[in-house]
Amino acid sequence: MTHKPNYLPERLALLSDLNAAQYVTEGLLNGKEDVPAIALSKIVEPLPYDGARAALAPVRELVDDAMCEYRDEKPTKADAWLAPRLHATLRLNRREAADRRLWNFLALGVAPDYVVWRFLPEPNGKEKSGEAPKVAYRRFRGAHYTQAFARLWWMAELFRNGSDYRPVARACAIQDMINTVLRLDVIDHRPTAQAMVRLLDRGTVTTGREVNALAGAVNASAATLMYDVVAPDVERDGRPVQEWVEAAETAGPVPRRMLPEGPDEEQAPEGSVEALADYFTELLVDAPVRGRPATEDIGD
Amino acid sequence: MKAYPYRRLAGPVSLRVTAVELKVPGESREPLDTKAFSVVEQVVALGGTGFDDWESARLKLSATIPSKATAPDSGWSDVSVVAVLTEKATNARTVVPLESTTESGREWTGFLDVWRADHRDRASLSVHVVARADGVPGRVIATAQNEWIVDLSAEAPRRQRELDVVIAGFREGPQWRRPFREVPWIVDTSGDVAAVHVNTDFEGLTDLLSGSGSGVEGLVRDLLLAQMCTDVWTAVFHAAVGDLEVEEDGTPLFPHDWRGEVLREMLPDVMPGRPLEEALGEVHRRRTEAAGWIDLQPRIHFAATRRAEMPKALSTTIRGLDRLQQRADA
Repeated sequence: MTHKPNYLPERLALLSDLNAAQYVTEGLLNGKEDVPAIALSKIVEPLPYDGARAALAPVRELVDDAMCEYRDEKPTKADAWLAPRLHATLRLNRREAADRRLWNFLALGVAPDYVVWRFLPEPNGKEKSGEAPKVAYRRFRGAHYTQAFARLWWMAELFRNGSDYRPVARACAIQDMINTVLRLDVIDHRPTAQAMVRLLDRGTVTTGREVNALAGAVNASAATLMYDVVAPDVERDGRPVQEWVEAAETAGPVPRRMLPEGPDEEQAPEGSVEALADYFTELLVDAPVRGRPATEDIGD
Repeated sequence: MKAYPYRRLAGPVSLRVTAVELKVPGESREPLDTKAFSVVEQVVALGGTGFDDWESARLKLSATIPSKATAPDSGWSDVSVVAVLTEKATNARTVVPLESTTESGREWTGFLDVWRADHRDRASLSVHVVARADGVPGRVIATAQNEWIVDLSAEAPRRQRELDVVIAGFREGPQWRRPFREVPWIVDTSGDVAAVHVNTDFEGLTDLLSGSGSGVEGLVRDLLLAQMCTDVWTAVFHAAVGDLEVEEDGTPLFPHDWRGEVLREMLPDVMPGRPLEEALGEVHRRRTEAAGWIDLQPRIHFAATRRAEMPKALSTTIRGLDRLQQRADA
């Protein structure tokens, strides 16, 4: 298996797509090779910010803890634990998080062993003859909803309710929330994201297939219905995130047992979340769920 | 034509940015000069404001909608007009209601705050008319034809993007550039915007490019620039088509950033006569499957050459050389 890099710089850095590409080798994707850490450290670019947020060690320790905590379980289980904690450790604003170079660096310069541990499929007998299981390229370098670390950070950013990360942990427990829902534009509206988690809380939606059906129905309905008007959010205020970012200097390591606290933003209005949750429940009644017979007597 | 299960509002819906104010922490809002935004281009440029540490920008908005929307017999009720600012790269979405300012219900105004930390590159600003239709609240009954662009880094409000030009010696600087120290320029397509790197270690190149001579030098310079542009268009097309996100059923998606803009611009020349989505699917299929990619190369070359205005540059050079020759003969 791919090992932890034998050299870790003190500071996080940026790695451009062009430079990242040459390090995503077949051997790495197969989990058989390491990333040449020293060579990589010579081609990175510095972060545009400094201070506590730029320290590499807290991120690496967090990843180590995740792999240790979930060593005897399915690696997918680690997502719900890691997503809020990674978010609270990096303390980025969205402008910074939209820089793919940071995620490239985390995947190749900080924790390629985590990416392999998390995404190398178990051999299932379906491989073409002679082909070893391999990690998908997009886990190292890719869109915000596929890249190994970006997907966790954006799950936390889009599903947190103000400072409350509980909805994040809830959403990450079902992989289809990450694989399907995270890529939808509709969840950029906070009450919509919260309403989808609310259906998980209520037990209205329990399986991955139901999540996918819900995602399809919610997205289709958004083509003619403006959720922002029927279920308004509070006015956007950028200051709490700014203050949270600045507070990184005095914040210690994120708690491992309890959930950390996010930026002190106003929560999505409860009335809006409830109204949408009720509406989505109605949509789900008519939505086709894969594997569910299209008859009245569902449920058992 | 898309079908809607309710009646839509016909007629033009338009949006204008009428003023922009910047907020620097600890200070009051500062109105920006009108050259920071353009009604013709429909772009707000926040990069050349002279304030490095601005925190948010307040856009004053004005929308005009057909008066039918609020007519008593329209069949719609609870009509509202909302402005929506989105950016794919940051998943940002800000929605603000506008208020009706005239008796006729045609003019609506309001303001929207753009938080700098929520955006990276370019955000789109649109306006929608929303109403209760057939008893269902929140229906979108009309959307403005044109979106405004809020550009966080541009100094001038222009829709068309400019290339990033880096002028540097290739022997120094980033590792990836060093192997190219013998070539005059190289195109880097990995960043937020495509950049052309011009090699100052290539002797005489910077003088040639920066010169303003009208003789042979000027002709060569213009030809060189056209050649450079052709290279850039070819490179950005390949970069855009080579890094597509693909749906599970194999359908490729238009990228959100400049790669998407490049594809929308060039595909009509690469795959003429086809709708954009279909053209993208076909190009992707040809690139990833065994056959057809080679056949496409001349079309990509054609699209790039056209955009770089290479034929024009070459004819001008040839004619210019002829004239110089005639003058020398005389």
